[in-house]
Amino acid sequence: MFGFLRVLVIGFVVLSVVYFSVSLYSRSVRREKLEDQWDEDNPESDDSTARDAYVEQGMKEYDRSIRPKLILLVYVIPAILATILMVVIN
Amino acid sequence: MLSYVKWTIRIVVWTALFALGHYTLPQHDVVRVVNTYQERQDLGDWTRVFWAHPDDQAAGLVNRDVQFIQTVKKKTWLLGFYRTGGEEPMVYRNEDTGWSWPFYFKFDTANLQTEADDLRSTKEAPQWAVMTHYGWRNELWSVFPNAVAIRPVASPDVRVIPWFNIFFFVFLIVALLFIRAAWRQFRERTIDPMVDDAGENWDSVSQSVRERKGRIRRWLDTWRGK
Repeated sequence: MFGFLRVLVIGFVVLSVVYFSVSLYSRSVRREKLEDQWDEDNPESDDSTARDAYVEQGMKEYDRSIRPKLILLVYVIPAILATILMVVIN
Repeated sequence: MLSYVKWTIRIVVWTALFALGHYTLPQHDVVRVVNTYQERQDLGDWTRVFWAHPDDQAAGLVNRDVQFIQTVKKKTWLLGFYRTGGEEPMVYRNEDTGWSWPFYFKFDTANLQTEADDLRSTKEAPQWAVMTHYGWRNELWSVFPNAVAIRPVASPDVRVIPWFNIFFFVFLIVALLFIRAAWRQFRERTIDPMVDDAGENWDSVSQSVRERKGRIRRWLDTWRGK
């Protein structure tokens, strides 16, 4: 029983590290895309306030979208795989 | 000199990673079960690392009974990919891995022992089976690979596809590519701007130092003979 808890806790910590890395990476890529999109649409503009507003708006939409929620699969998939492994082995 | 150090470290690290993978990942042997037995094993010395930790109480024990499966195995070569012909004895231990490393989550030791007993056969009427296992056999240190699963096969010339290892290495490559992509993104978006900033600061500092030096030089020059 203690062994099970240990696997659970260590697994949770490791997967949390993975979850935060993937989240940060995904946000960073989205932000870069938004910035590039703005620069492409407004090649002449150097209105940094409007640019920031556009990027912030895009990030808000990103937060509302399904994508960041999909990253939670980082926890779900290993749990499913471990369960399948247990069923197959035993 | 430095390149010797670099190469030594590289070779040691890669050898260690290879050994870890070779010890831990599942492999398949074509075997004929001869017998099974159970024997008291002492766990007091460093070879403890080659025995499993079936449950929490096992950590404190200095000896316990371990089940073994005696087989005759088809000889292979190059990580089991090539059959060399001929047979050799191979003895597997049969231990639960439980919730501990390596994570096979094996709890069915008693069932596996029963299956192995059920597959016992003679040289004259052999019943071949595929044994999934991990670990190494070393006679000098009495190290045994741990049996994970056994299934009967009609012919010893069966072709086993290592699905788990295929998925494992695909996953490993994907994970490494993600780490590389994430690191590049981090460097491009976070470190490089910081370094640029620091570079600009450094430029302005050295600029002002140069100006000050220039002033001192000019002041010194005023004392030189005209």
